[in-house]
Amino acid sequence: MKPYIKIALFVVFLIALGGILAALYLYNLKPEDLQKAKPHFTITAADFQKAFEDNEKTASERYINKIIEVSGEIASVRTGEKNSMNVSLKTGSELSSVICTFHSVSDTTNIKPGNQIILRGVCSGFLMDVLLNNCAVIKISK
Amino acid sequence: MKRFILLLTISCFLFTANAQKYITKNGFIGFFGHTPMEDIKADNNQVASVLDISTGDIVFQVLVKSFHFDRALMEEHFNENYMESDKIPKSTFKGKIINLSSVDFKKNGTYEVIVDGDLTLHDVTNKISAKGTMEVLTDGINANSKFNIVPEDYKINIPGVVREKIAKSLEITVSMKYAPLPSK
Repeated sequence: MKPYIKIALFVVFLIALGGILAALYLYNLKPEDLQKAKPHFTITAADFQKAFEDNEKTASERYINKIIEVSGEIASVRTGEKNSMNVSLKTGSELSSVICTFHSVSDTTNIKPGNQIILRGVCSGFLMDVLLNNCAVIKISK
Repeated sequence: MKRFILLLTISCFLFTANAQKYITKNGFIGFFGHTPMEDIKADNNQVASVLDISTGDIVFQVLVKSFHFDRALMEEHFNENYMESDKIPKSTFKGKIINLSSVDFKKNGTYEVIVDGDLTLHDVTNKISAKGTMEVLTDGINANSKFNIVPEDYKINIPGVVREKIAKSLEITVSMKYAPLPSK
């Protein structure tokens, strides 16, 4: 075999290997850890809910799929299926809140109604409440 | 006497109206599909649902984007290629408990129910029927169900290359913890 064919084969092999590794990497990619992510918007729970109540269309275009850092008072906490947890934040409305879903929380001691929380989540949109997913706690205080 | 009857009627009405509707905004719906290559699994913990025990009407609403996958890429494909969630953000189910008389909402216990109704996914509506249970508790109602759907029935186009990777039928799990709707 001529040396240049050997080199060519080797290059092809490297490209194929790179492709397989890249595909495996993408395939196994986990949802982003929002603790380390930079938020697109920082807002209070009351303003966030009001934005959707006032004009769902504009708010949807602005916030859906974006990382939102929300601050507010915890209204209620519910544990769900498979270690998940939903935290509702108080807003200006009695009927509608900001519901934040955590898929795993290591320390839940201070996640209680009445405490102040700052969290990050990805906005899914608005049903009766504004919904945030894949949430991470940034700061919590009594 | 007239006044007494009026009061009685009003109090009866208030009493029954109080516990007619049950609500949850933190319901769970998950789906699961198994193929030789991999399992496809997603959870949604933000399901809104209202149950009216006087009529048996039951309504579910979900945002497609609230489904959470363990793999980021799978979630992206689900939203962009299959469910087109930017264009069609919501999925709904509107149905009725057809054997309502076999549930005694005044007596705690678990009852078998059959729910018939319209499932709208990806802007396509199909009639479905599902078996489930209703557990009547002192402070609420828990509802659970498992049934299967076929993505193709909802015009969810799966390209040939990955067709074999995605299960023909998906198992849907529903789990709700309803609380009485506070009356004003």
